[in-house]
Amino acid sequence: MPRISILIAENSCLIRKGLRSVLQKLENTEVVQTIDNKEELCEIVNKIKPDILIANPNMLQVNCEDFKQAFANGNKLRLVLISKTSDADSEHKADAHITYTDTQNQILDTLQDVASGIRKNKIDDKSNDTLSSREKNILKHIALGLTNKEIADQLFISIHTVVTHRKNITQKLSIKSVSGLTVYAILHNIISMDEVK
Amino acid sequence: MRIKENMKLADVIQMNYMLIPVIHRFGINLGFGDKTVTDICQENEVDLNFFLQLVNAYHDQDYFPKEELQTIPVKDIVAYLKMTHASYLNTTLSEIEQKIFSLASEDTEDKKYIELIRNFFEGYKTELTAHIMNEEDVVFPYVLAVDEIIKTQKFSDKNQQIFDSFSIEKYEEGHDDVEEKLMDLRTIMIKYLTPPANVTLYHSIIQDLFRLEEDLNYHSRIEDKVLIPKIILMEKSITNLF
Repeated sequence: MPRISILIAENSCLIRKGLRSVLQKLENTEVVQTIDNKEELCEIVNKIKPDILIANPNMLQVNCEDFKQAFANGNKLRLVLISKTSDADSEHKADAHITYTDTQNQILDTLQDVASGIRKNKIDDKSNDTLSSREKNILKHIALGLTNKEIADQLFISIHTVVTHRKNITQKLSIKSVSGLTVYAILHNIISMDEVK
Repeated sequence: MRIKENMKLADVIQMNYMLIPVIHRFGINLGFGDKTVTDICQENEVDLNFFLQLVNAYHDQDYFPKEELQTIPVKDIVAYLKMTHASYLNTTLSEIEQKIFSLASEDTEDKKYIELIRNFFEGYKTELTAHIMNEEDVVFPYVLAVDEIIKTQKFSDKNQQIFDSFSIEKYEEGHDDVEEKLMDLRTIMIKYLTPPANVTLYHSIIQDLFRLEEDLNYHSRIEDKVLIPKIILMEKSITNLF
């Protein structure tokens, strides 16, 4: 299962650290970074592309087009606001709220809901974690050491399609490197050991 | 918890055992009784400030005291990173290699699968070695040259040449991909392989891989958070100077 990445933007060190420590209890998620400087927010969001941004509203007053884009793209980035009350927000269309008086379990429940929403979306994209026969075929060619271009030529598909398949294979197997994929292919009899090299 | 100079080093290690290889790289051996961090640094002629910044950066991933870190001499950082490299190459990698080798030499049906793991690890080792060599042969000499230019306020012919041929940006670009293979290896061992008869050894290899990965992350953090920002600043001031 892919891990959900979380970015915390909050200028209070107490809250930042506290939240990080609470969220450690949340399975299959990872707080990839915390930031306290709103000037950096835009750049960091674009760089690490988190699944969830937990932010204090006063961190969001940034002048950055790309950043607004990230929200506008709908299912890309989920926004969770930290505030006094959960109805304080009209300006930023937040996906969820956590308030200062929430208990640990309430915070975890809120985030769990947001995370499973993302996971559902991801799973809808790719029905399950087993490779389709098309993907197996592509994997075989990758393991044989062919480049994207060569695979595209041999299978009469576009390079773009090959790249998409590769991305899906990597996500399903959580293996990134060519040599790792080759080992997988051998273990699952997609190619034989003699064919490699 | 921040590690301070008046703490007993034994307590520090009890708190975070991942620091054992770190202090070892400074030439500090276990068995230090009740001595404090200050005592031990003096005994081993280790710069106290550098030691504290480094163990704290290792210990707490949010710890990033910009000002203090900027005060550490470049040559000390480089010397430390080199010691770390040596310990990977001479100890960690060969230990894991040895374990995989023993696994392969045992009498099992899955021999050819273990062989796959072995080849895979060899491939990773070659890659990491090349990465380390590139740092030692290209990046560190560059970093030291930049440091010398700042110190002497002038370009020697040699430094001029090194300065023109490289920039720290190039290094930043290729810095993430080494860990990919390592993660793949443990994923394969956890998800896709049926463990061989000697499960104890098999488990111990997986744990070693996790530890190596964690240690490499610590190591890259020093490079990415301490060394690179420092060099970027120095590059800027050199461009302004001349």
